[in-house]
Amino acid sequence: MLRHFLYLTNSRLVSMATRGKHIAMRREFAASGNGAAQFDQHLASLPDAPVYLFTDLAEEDFRLDTVPHVGGRDREAIIGRKLVQMFRNTPFRHAVVQGRETEGRRDDRVFYTAITNPEVLRPWLEAIERRHAPLAGIYSAAVFSSVMLDELDLLFPHTLLVTFTPGGAMRQTYFRDREIKFSRLTPVDPEEGQSLGTLISEETTRTWQYLDSLRHFGEEDRLEVCVMLHPTDRAIVQPALRDFAQIQHHILDIEQVAAKLGLRPAPLSSTCEEIFVHLFLLRPGQNHFATPEMRRFDTLRKARLGILRFAGAAVVASLGWGAWNLNQAMQKTDVDQRIAQQIQTLNGEYDAITRSLPSFGVGGSTMRDAVSFYNASIRAFPHVTDFAVALSGVIGRHPEVRLAQFAWIATDDANATPALGRVASSQGMPVTATGAAPKDAPAKAPEAAPGTFSSGRYEVAVLEGTVRVPINDFRGALDAVGRLAADLSALPGTSASVVESPLDLRTSAQIHGRHEGAEPDTMEPRFVLRVVRDHRAET
Amino acid sequence: MTPAFTREGWKVLRGAWIGLAGAIVAAILIVSGSHWYGVKEKRDSADASRRLQEARAKLDGARRERDNLNESADVFRMLVDRGLLQREQRLDLVEMVNGLRSRYQLFALDYEIAPQRPLPLPGGRVFPSIDVLASRVKLRAKALHEGDILGFMDEISKQRQGFHPVDECTMRRIGSAGDGRLQAHVEADCTLEWITLKDKGANRAG
Repeated sequence: MLRHFLYLTNSRLVSMATRGKHIAMRREFAASGNGAAQFDQHLASLPDAPVYLFTDLAEEDFRLDTVPHVGGRDREAIIGRKLVQMFRNTPFRHAVVQGRETEGRRDDRVFYTAITNPEVLRPWLEAIERRHAPLAGIYSAAVFSSVMLDELDLLFPHTLLVTFTPGGAMRQTYFRDREIKFSRLTPVDPEEGQSLGTLISEETTRTWQYLDSLRHFGEEDRLEVCVMLHPTDRAIVQPALRDFAQIQHHILDIEQVAAKLGLRPAPLSSTCEEIFVHLFLLRPGQNHFATPEMRRFDTLRKARLGILRFAGAAVVASLGWGAWNLNQAMQKTDVDQRIAQQIQTLNGEYDAITRSLPSFGVGGSTMRDAVSFYNASIRAFPHVTDFAVALSGVIGRHPEVRLAQFAWIATDDANATPALGRVASSQGMPVTATGAAPKDAPAKAPEAAPGTFSSGRYEVAVLEGTVRVPINDFRGALDAVGRLAADLSALPGTSASVVESPLDLRTSAQIHGRHEGAEPDTMEPRFVLRVVRDHRAET
Repeated sequence: MTPAFTREGWKVLRGAWIGLAGAIVAAILIVSGSHWYGVKEKRDSADASRRLQEARAKLDGARRERDNLNESADVFRMLVDRGLLQREQRLDLVEMVNGLRSRYQLFALDYEIAPQRPLPLPGGRVFPSIDVLASRVKLRAKALHEGDILGFMDEISKQRQGFHPVDECTMRRIGSAGDGRLQAHVEADCTLEWITLKDKGANRAG
């Protein structure tokens, strides 16, 4: 960033342009009409560079005062009034509050300064105003020089900083505990036979006497006089400087000072304007003398810079956000592409599977349902002939038994019983029983849900038949039927029970007997069996 | 009043204000554009994930179906061969019954084929892709020997064409006149379901 520093003395104006922390350009203008005109032209070459104007003038006045310790706004008002009272004829005035008194009301200590003759600044400020150069501030070199004490570690209770200004003047600024208390500018105009060193020694002694008269020193106090000199002047000056109990001299080699502050190249003479510029770059100070009106172009420049920086920041932030968003989106795009490939692969596999599926001209679900129905309802559905064949095998082992009727159903209800019409009748029976209901009377098959197709878990059959035994051998008939039922029950998953026995011996039944004449050799009493076959028990 | 808001200030800062306005517009466009693009990509990504899930589910379904169908293909082929998915060919049944009557020398054979109906299954079970239809067939036969009737019924229930499960059957001996003529000794009443399936998909297509 280009900055334009001006160092104004009573005889000339030094213009220095800095870029970064280096002085890129330096020009000097005589304090005259011609010099002001040249400066005006010069300003045109630095149109937007902010201008920092340092004043090092004989017309600067410095005063100390105290004001009652009050709040911020009141204090500003009091100090403002004091400045106007003290320096009525100039707008270039400034006050520094330096703390509070240690005794009494503990008033605020205030240091006032002003350029009492504003005409000294006028031609230069007119040029600046005319060129719309952004004046950042007008600074008192004497007041600003307190920064130098800090940067150069000049930590003395009483310091007199002696600097030389362009145009041959010597500035003596007195600091007590690093607070500026007094400053004076004297021309470097040695009398005949007087060396620069002698001049400095005499002037500093005179200043000490003045300060002592103002009771700045105690008996033990010593004034440390720090003289900033170029090495070429040091050889001349140093021998002339005599230390006393009250005055001690320190030479500040300007090249060493420049090195310490990082100023390259070092100044070529003992004038310290470049040191001030560099100090300012290191530790920018507050404006001392310029009014807001004088600084308006700098205010506008800062506003413009602020607006443009904000605009730039908005664009950069939006670009950053957009880039981040775009990056996220691109990552998603990559993921999407991978997903698309996966989908393509999956679809390809799906197509391959679909093509490889067995096709019978129907959908897979139709095939699945048809097979499911077959497996659940038809595959294991019993066949009446299988049951009859098994039954026949057992009955074949009982030649005394003759089957008259056989009723069979396939059902899911183990208690269902098929209907049976009466066909057989006991033949040649001398004894019969009547009146009691059959033990497990064959009943009509229960009405299932109309037309419901069973899975055929159970086969239930009712057998009606007769058993041939010798006449009156009811015990043999009962045994024969019991054996038949037992043999049937031995079939896998099958149980057989006697529903009607050859002779009902229950006490609830009535028995009739008739024996007359010649009886036949055999008789064939009737019986009824119920046979249930459970296919799940079978498996 | 701050100099920025004086007439002179507006004049000096006009370019900066225009630049700021342009920057804000550009920033809004960049932010909204990239946001729109990001949202679109996010939506596309969600769609892609959903489609991936669907494709995986579809493939898993196809694999399951393949496994199921491979297992049941042979069974289904048999069902198709036996005409389970064909419409009832009643004339075929009539001819088959008549043929069996002759083969098993039945003395008499009466039969009724009821109108076809949806066959109710236990538990009210239904299938999403097929309708189960059945016609109830009642048979009354007389034969010399019960073996003839059993053979006749076995032949019907185990026919290579169609499914005719017999679910009720009653056989009884009947008396003979004893006049020396060959007469029936056994009588049977049997009932079977003639089952066919109907593809609902074909139904819809038709």
